[in-house]
Amino acid sequence: MKKRMMAILCAAGMLVSMTACGAAKPADVAGAATDAAATDAAVATDTSAATDTADAAGATIDLGDAKFLTEGVLNVGAEVGYPPFEDFAEDGTTPIGYDIDIITAVADKLGLDVNIINTAWDGIFAGIGVNYDVACSAVTITPERKETMLFSDPYINNYQAVVLPADSDKTISSFNDLDGMTIALQKETTSDILMSDYKSTGTIDIQIVANEKITSCFTQLQNGEVDAVVVDSTVADGFINSSDAFKIAYEDQEEAEQFGIAMAKENTGLQKAINQALKELEEEGFIEESYNYWFGSAAE
Amino acid sequence: MKFLKKYKKPIIVIAVIVAVIIVLGALLPTKQELLSCASPEMQKMIEEDATRSRKRVTETYESLIVINYLSLSTSGAQEVSEHYVGFVRNVYPADEGPMKVVGQMVNYTYRMLGCGENWMHGAKLTVLLTTLTVLFGLLLGTVLALGKISKNKVLSKISSGYIFFFRGTPLLIQLFVVYFTVPGIFGFAWRDIFPASDAEAVYKGAFTAALIAFALNSGAYCAEIVRSAIQSIDKGQFEAAKALGMTYGQTMGRIVIPQSIRRMIPNVSNEFIMILKDASLVFAISLMDITTISKNIMTSEGSYLVFIPALVIYLVITAFFGFIFNKLEKRFSIYE
Amino acid sequence: MSENYEYILKTEHVSKRFGTLEVLKDINLSVKKGEVICIIGPSGAGKSTFLRSLNQLEKITSGKIFIRDELFLHREHDHTVDKLPHEKQQELLLEMGMVFQRFNLFPHMTVLQNVCEAPVVVKKQKKSEAEAQARELLEKVGLSDKADEYPSRLSGGQQQRVAIARALAMNPEIMLFDEPTSALDPELVGDVLNVMKELAESGMTMLVVTHEMGFAKEVADRVLFMADGIIAEEGTPDQIFTNPQVDRTKSFLNAILET
Repeated sequence: MKKRMMAILCAAGMLVSMTACGAAKPADVAGAATDAAATDAAVATDTSAATDTADAAGATIDLGDAKFLTEGVLNVGAEVGYPPFEDFAEDGTTPIGYDIDIITAVADKLGLDVNIINTAWDGIFAGIGVNYDVACSAVTITPERKETMLFSDPYINNYQAVVLPADSDKTISSFNDLDGMTIALQKETTSDILMSDYKSTGTIDIQIVANEKITSCFTQLQNGEVDAVVVDSTVADGFINSSDAFKIAYEDQEEAEQFGIAMAKENTGLQKAINQALKELEEEGFIEESYNYWFGSAAE
Repeated sequence: MKFLKKYKKPIIVIAVIVAVIIVLGALLPTKQELLSCASPEMQKMIEEDATRSRKRVTETYESLIVINYLSLSTSGAQEVSEHYVGFVRNVYPADEGPMKVVGQMVNYTYRMLGCGENWMHGAKLTVLLTTLTVLFGLLLGTVLALGKISKNKVLSKISSGYIFFFRGTPLLIQLFVVYFTVPGIFGFAWRDIFPASDAEAVYKGAFTAALIAFALNSGAYCAEIVRSAIQSIDKGQFEAAKALGMTYGQTMGRIVIPQSIRRMIPNVSNEFIMILKDASLVFAISLMDITTISKNIMTSEGSYLVFIPALVIYLVITAFFGFIFNKLEKRFSIYE
Repeated sequence: MSENYEYILKTEHVSKRFGTLEVLKDINLSVKKGEVICIIGPSGAGKSTFLRSLNQLEKITSGKIFIRDELFLHREHDHTVDKLPHEKQQELLLEMGMVFQRFNLFPHMTVLQNVCEAPVVVKKQKKSEAEAQARELLEKVGLSDKADEYPSRLSGGQQQRVAIARALAMNPEIMLFDEPTSALDPELVGDVLNVMKELAESGMTMLVVTHEMGFAKEVADRVLFMADGIIAEEGTPDQIFTNPQVDRTKSFLNAILET
């Protein structure tokens, strides 16, 4: 998914050291924080129905030596604008989505309030432990990232998928079948890296149309500018769920990716607590229930 | 001969530069020579790729006439990469140290110039889009300016409304509307303008949409430039033309507009530079101009060096067109 | 064209107002072919406005303008009551050449191009013919050596002579001069007046708004004295300059001759 590779980490590291960015960030974050605080209640009520099924003794997990920026609050960094993982509700200020549900339920288990901080994807990791405690924003677990941060156990599996218009009669049984097509994808994502690799190695001949926003890719597919969209299966599920103009033609089951909640390298106490919370949520069926709610029955 | 005499110095300088480039270019190692420097493991992987359906080695060869660059890299679990720079009969490994930086510079410059790509990439896109936008913008702007100062109330209102609309809304949104909304409403795709057999139709389609949006927008700005230039022309010129029996069209076309061109040039030059920078907005419709490519390199490779060649390329472009506008201004002020 | 007309140019009750300011009040004038008429008077008298309304640079508020006895334009209360068809109007307007106080040459064209422009563009003359004629005219105003110069390289007097040549290139029957020497340095006035004098001697019908009393005395067939938007007095140069009847004329001439 948004595995913008190791290089981003380097870039992010640099950004932190660049004072200009350091100075610009807090203002943004403060703005987002107040927004999030204002809507906090709404998010909490939203998910309370779901957590009711869990036992009422929610806050039983031992926080151990977990460290937090603010007492009693789990500050969460997310790039809000990546449905169905995180997006703003119709009111334009309330964050909603699969990630939001999961992290809110986790915080509930830990007996913490949740504070979602909207942040740009670029530099999202640089903010961990600085502006927020964890990043929960469809973050792919990669070996490179594990070197600089901790991840919770994965809470969702993701594959690369090919999306075609619903009325297309093409059959795709591997990425090699995309040969000769024009495909759209989101810039600097796993899809981008994968398809660029297929192209640059000469495996297949394709025209790649890279966009900043995944929604642009689907508009292009709908308008007929491109033949196919290559995207995370989870995102594809979400789009197909909300529109019958598209269909998933192929999912690459071999190279699965896993998403986890990222936190600072030294915050092992928090990792332990979150893993415990995720385990309980899994057992209670909350994770599956949420998945079905956000990604529909199209998913496994 | 007169020409040669007048530009003696620059001609000599250019001739020397060209000669140096030709010599250095002749001494440049070939791609094969660069490839032969690759490690045995890499050579083996390249060989294996020939029979694979999912190839693994990415071979990037880029030549900037006097210097060239080869990058071999593999994807997957065991990620390996090798880089070489060729210069004056020598091949230098460029995996670390200063040669790594040289290699990166060659690579970044090559990509930002849009070498090895079609016209819809990099500096070529920026220059083409900007030049065509200014040309069409000026044509449209002249029509709008004449409409705005016309005594015909309807025409004048339409022109004013147009200018108000396009100056009062952001270019990025206009670009979105032209590229996404219009085809969505009318059920066509920009790439359908070009033959289906054209693999690059999607870029050409996007470029067409960008050019339309940019020209429509620039027309509004140019209209104000043209209008103020026309209105700065002495009223006596209109009267003299009228007294000689010239029609409004003849007066505008032969007397007023030719005189106003010189007064427009500094403002058009500004508009040109504005568009040059605005051209980076094409990132929104999947096109890659200099700024977009440099940003991509920054995020995917984490290299902050990329912005240095980007600045140089922009400066070269502005210097070149600044020179042209200067010459034009001189040319048009010959009678003053 | 029919030569059977009494007056080449005639105005009846011509009035012009700018807002509430009445610049011309009931001007009646009849001009015969070949007449040279000088219009004198204090500034603000409406002399230029009158001249400019003859060739439609100003729109009159009311009154009638006849050209060759044909009703060219009839307006009342700022509305056109009657006029010739547009093409016919344009054709007759070409019979009037105009010379401006500030020359108004086209700065982006050479002297020759300035003179050729209208014949080629408006009259659709062949370029070669127009050029030959232009060179003749430039010869006539004494500037044949300046044909390829741009106007900015010329003195005011030379520019005004080019402007005269430019107007003459359209072969007009009437020449209107709007203070042709007022913007010139005194030493340059003579050349321009000489050219105008020659033109008058060749039989051209001329209406000249001027402050050059000497020129008026010598060349004019008739002198009009305008003040406050009316023709206060008119007569031969002799009558006006030696024996003016109206007080305003007297005081104006006194003021002029004193300086």
